[in-house]
Amino acid sequence: MLSRAAWSFVLRTGGLGARGTHSPGDAARSEGRMPPYTNCYAQRSYPMPDEPFCTELTAEQRALKEKEKGSWTQLSPAEKVALYRLQYRESFAEMNRRSNEWKTVMGSVFFFFGFTALLIWWQRVYVFPEKPITLTDEWKARQLQRVLDMKGNPVQGLAARWDYEKKQWKK
Amino acid sequence: MAYPFQLGFQDASSPIMEELLHFHDHTLMIVFLISSLVLYIISLMLTTKLTHTSTMDAQEVETIWTILPAIILIMIALPSLRILYMMDEINNPSLTVKTMGHQWYWSYEYTDYEDLSFDSYMIPTSDLNPGDLRLLEVDNRVVLPMELPIRMLISSEDVLHSWAVPSLGLKTDAIPGRLNQATLISTRPGLFYGQCSEICGSNHSFMPIVLEMVPLKHFENWSLSMI
Repeated sequence: MLSRAAWSFVLRTGGLGARGTHSPGDAARSEGRMPPYTNCYAQRSYPMPDEPFCTELTAEQRALKEKEKGSWTQLSPAEKVALYRLQYRESFAEMNRRSNEWKTVMGSVFFFFGFTALLIWWQRVYVFPEKPITLTDEWKARQLQRVLDMKGNPVQGLAARWDYEKKQWKK
Repeated sequence: MAYPFQLGFQDASSPIMEELLHFHDHTLMIVFLISSLVLYIISLMLTTKLTHTSTMDAQEVETIWTILPAIILIMIALPSLRILYMMDEINNPSLTVKTMGHQWYWSYEYTDYEDLSFDSYMIPTSDLNPGDLRLLEVDNRVVLPMELPIRMLISSEDVLHSWAVPSLGLKTDAIPGRLNQATLISTRPGLFYGQCSEICGSNHSFMPIVLEMVPLKHFENWSLSMI
C-alpha cells in the first residue's frame, strides 16, 4: 500500500520529473498509470485499479460485455455481479478483511522475550561476578544513616523526605 | 550525592545550579509537549481508515511548522545564554585553588598564602569504612569555606580529565597545557561528590572528587593542620 501511494505521488509530480530521466522506450507507455504488476489489484489507498481483472474473456463473457454497453437496467443482479467480478479481483469487504497475522507476530515477540530472559538468567548464574559488600542490607542501612546525617539533598531529595524530629520518613 | 530511585538532578548547592534546574524544567516541558504532540499525531495516523494520495502542496501548514520551531528554539536559547553569561560574571573570589588531573587521581594546591598541596586518591572498596559510598570516597577531601566565591583553576598533568561536581553545577575539562577557570560557591555546608568526566584510561571511573564545605573557621584550622 505504501509503495503504491509513493508511486502515485511520483507520477503526479508533473514537469520534467520522472519522464526526463526515462529512456525513449518508456515514454511510449501512457503517463498516469500504475506499474503493470499492481495495475489490476485494488488497494485501500487506490481503490479503482486502472486495468480490469480479467482480460481474456470467454465468448459468454464477451457477450455480457456487449450487453453492458446497453442500458444497465436490462442487466439482472447475477449479471451485474458477474461483470463486477470481471472488472475487480476483490470486493471492498474482501479487500479490507482482517487476518490472523497479529497472533503470529505477538507469539514470536513473546517467544523471543522468553528466550532472552533465559539468556539473562544463565548470564547471572555463570558470568556475573560477586556483588560488592556495599550492597548488603547492613551496609546500605549505614550508608543511608550517613547520608541523612550529612543532610544530603535536603531541598527536594533524600534528606528532604526524612522527618528529623520524629526520626521517621515523612508521610 | 545521588540517592536511590533518583529521577532528576541532585539538589542544588549553588545559585548557578538552581538556575540550571529551572532552565532544565523549562526545556524539558517543551520537549514533553513536542513529544506528546508527535506521539498523538502518529497514533492518529496509524488508526485511521482514510487515505489521501493526491496531496500536492501544503503551504499554510509548512509555514507554521517552520516558524513555530524557530520561535521555540529562541525561547530555549535565550534563558540558556543568560545562564551562560551568568557563569562568567565577575564575582571577586576570596580564594584560589588549583587542581591538576593525573592518571588516576586529582591533586590540589592552595597557594594563596602558604604552599599546601596534596593528592586525592579514591578509597578502594576493600578499605571502605561501613556506610561509606563505594567508588566515591577519597582519602584527602578538598576542604573549602562555604558561602564564599572560590576560583578553581583546573588543568591536567597528562591526559584529558574533567573536574565535575554535579550539585554545584560544575564541570570543567582538565586539559594538559591549558588553565581553565571555574567559580565555586556553595550555599550549604556538607560533602559534595563528583567524578572524573572525561575518559582518561583504565581507572577513569575511579578518580572521584569530594568537596567538604565548612565554615571559614574550620577551613582555617584545617589548612593550618595540613601544612
